[in-house]
Amino acid sequence: MNRTAIKLLIGGVILVGAVSYLAWAGMKEGWATYHLSVDAFLKDTQHHGQRVRLFGKVAEEGLASNPGRLSASFVLLGESGRVNVAYKGVVPDLFKAGAEVVVEGTLDKQGTFQSDVLMTKCASKYDSKEHPQNGGK
Amino acid sequence: MINTLGYYCLAITVLVAAFELLVSLAAVRFGSSQVRRTARRGLYLMAGLLTVSSACLMHAFVTSDFSLSYVARYTERALPLGYKLAAFWAGQEGSLLLWAWLLGVMAALFAFLQRRDQTVENDAAQGTLAAVTGFFAALMLFAANPFEPAVQIAGDGMGLNPMLQDPWMISHPPTLFIGYAGFTVPFALAVGALIARRTDEKWTSLARPWVMFSWLFLGIGILLGAKWAYVELGWGGYWAWDPVENASLLPWLTGTALLHSLVGQRGQGMFKRWNLALAIATFLLCIFGTYITRSGVVASVHTFGKSLVGTFFAVFLLIGVLTSLALFFWRFGAFKADRPLDGLLNREGMLLAGNVLLVLMTAITLVLTMWPAFSGTIDGKEATVPPRVFNKMVLPFALLLVAIMATGPLLSSVGQDAIRKLLRGLTIPLATAIVVCGGLWAMEIRSVWALAAAAAATAVVSAILADLCLCVWTRHGQSGENLLVAAVRVIDGNHRRYGAHIVHAGIALIVIGVAGSSIYGTESKVSLKPGESVDVNRYTLTLHSIDSRRAENYGAAIARVTMLDRASGAIRELQPQHRTYDKGGQTMSEVAIRSNWREDLYVTVLGADDDGSVAFRVIVSPLVSWIWTGGLVLTVGAVFGLLPRFLPLRAVAPAAEPAQPTKPVRIAMAR
Repeated sequence: MNRTAIKLLIGGVILVGAVSYLAWAGMKEGWATYHLSVDAFLKDTQHHGQRVRLFGKVAEEGLASNPGRLSASFVLLGESGRVNVAYKGVVPDLFKAGAEVVVEGTLDKQGTFQSDVLMTKCASKYDSKEHPQNGGK
Repeated sequence: MINTLGYYCLAITVLVAAFELLVSLAAVRFGSSQVRRTARRGLYLMAGLLTVSSACLMHAFVTSDFSLSYVARYTERALPLGYKLAAFWAGQEGSLLLWAWLLGVMAALFAFLQRRDQTVENDAAQGTLAAVTGFFAALMLFAANPFEPAVQIAGDGMGLNPMLQDPWMISHPPTLFIGYAGFTVPFALAVGALIARRTDEKWTSLARPWVMFSWLFLGIGILLGAKWAYVELGWGGYWAWDPVENASLLPWLTGTALLHSLVGQRGQGMFKRWNLALAIATFLLCIFGTYITRSGVVASVHTFGKSLVGTFFAVFLLIGVLTSLALFFWRFGAFKADRPLDGLLNREGMLLAGNVLLVLMTAITLVLTMWPAFSGTIDGKEATVPPRVFNKMVLPFALLLVAIMATGPLLSSVGQDAIRKLLRGLTIPLATAIVVCGGLWAMEIRSVWALAAAAAATAVVSAILADLCLCVWTRHGQSGENLLVAAVRVIDGNHRRYGAHIVHAGIALIVIGVAGSSIYGTESKVSLKPGESVDVNRYTLTLHSIDSRRAENYGAAIARVTMLDRASGAIRELQPQHRTYDKGGQTMSEVAIRSNWREDLYVTVLGADDDGSVAFRVIVSPLVSWIWTGGLVLTVGAVFGLLPRFLPLRAVAPAAEPAQPTKPVRIAMAR
């Protein structure tokens, strides 16, 4: 009985240790990806060089998407700030000037945001445009 | 007219539920059989009302009645009939109605099966079922009314989201909801046992088939969702640790734990508190998962948008958690195990270890899923946890669990000579695992994760087979039956045991599939003009032409691609498509997949360029089909485990099956 309790205790300690180790390893590698607006990102330099998600609007000028839509470079606009984005990957269908997008990546030394994830925000736009009578529910 | 009927049925359901609660309280207090009959009929009435209400909504979908806002938002006239019916559960309101209907039907079925059970625990369980069903009806009435009239009646609806127009997606939500609704019954039974202080096996033996059934449906639902993501979303994966996926995984993990600790209470009188806690936790996690996906508290790919529904679920969850905790600790002392654990190296010890791991995985997944909400309150900045962190934190425990799965069933309840028995039982599994790993090493496979997964999965399967062979051989020797008859008799003689073994084998297949596809998948992007070819791995892909085709509610550009498997010489035409749906101009890529046991070739159209070249994503993903096969095997095992014995029992000399639990087997349980 007593020995069982000791065995259970040892097992518990091992498990807790394993979880703590994994959590520590996760923390060290950057546990979570922050979501920031363009303005917040420009203000808060601690996130430069870290992998983050930025959201903003695609600017009209400076938009170039290349053959096969496998990469794109564009300017991401915030309320006041702007960030140049170089994206490598598949360009989504709904990506165009004026679209609200989320990009994930890191800011390089030249001040260009290198991204490999590009998502158009809010695909549920679907609801409102064509049938304004139901918009907003 | 019919829509009004549907609405009123919901309203009356709420009233009946409130009445039913009072009647159940009266039954608990006074225990008259008159009152109990009324309580039972109340549950039948609720099931009837919800059925009528669902039929009314179904009718609106079939007749394209766009005077209902819900119908107008999720269908259009040109939608094929099957998808019109499936649109029933495409959105918030309808899916809640489906859930409520399933709950109502299951509650009525439960009341019917327990109609002779004139006990306090049964009254309390029925009251709990009525309360949960009533909550869903009230939720629809006040926050998400499926019969909400459209503000302005349109000539045509907005159509179903193209991503949902897929056979896998039709079947995924109802399967999941059957699981969710089903787990309410074990919860109700646990509440009943707590209130009535029934510390014996009664509630667990009643709960076992419901747990098995709900666990199976939840599991199939998760796999169908994974299959849908795989064939429809076009990124070549099937699991992304999205909050919605995690929401269904959490109750499945605790449900798995519950399924195992039920075994420990049976005959041994152990794990009583575990069983209560797990039954309660599984139900609450079903509600919690729904809360996080429908409240917008954590952003996800397919949330339903922020709404009052989230608040309702939050309040319900809070009430549920507080009531359950109060009940649990009120009776904590009474539900003490009949005997203590002998040590870790026996059947119960392994069950305990497995359950601790499952609960740990649940806790980790829960914290990581909710991290965006926590981090928002800590430093005001939103953050998400990327899938790789989930993999790193959860998968090691999953592998450990598979290792336990290989050893656990070899052990018996009696702890004498445990280590010697374990070592003897482990000889064959360990030997096969080493041989398989050696073979994989020779095939240049060096990933530690791949080797560990292969070793664990092989050990599981070979342990099962070795054990089966031993039992069959012993029986053959003792009874003189030929080997085939002996095998049938042995397997049929213990459905629970062999059902569980088949389920374990299915899980082992899934582990192999997940390891192979996630570690050794390759992805490339190619651009082809008609007539051009490209080599990807062992395949040569040639683009022949781009055709266009018109279907009922979309137009499609179809790329005709020929695949040549240079290793085997097989030739196959693949037709990935790019569809543009009429409603809202949404575009969708339809994936073309060539699948065999070895690997999947997965081709998606990314887009076309002005010079006539078409860009494709080509993914080669090994062993993916093992996941789906594993799902089938698991289903077969679970169903087999639930069925009663096929052949009459024919006893042979005792001690025929070495690793058998010491208790005699009961047949009636499986019903």
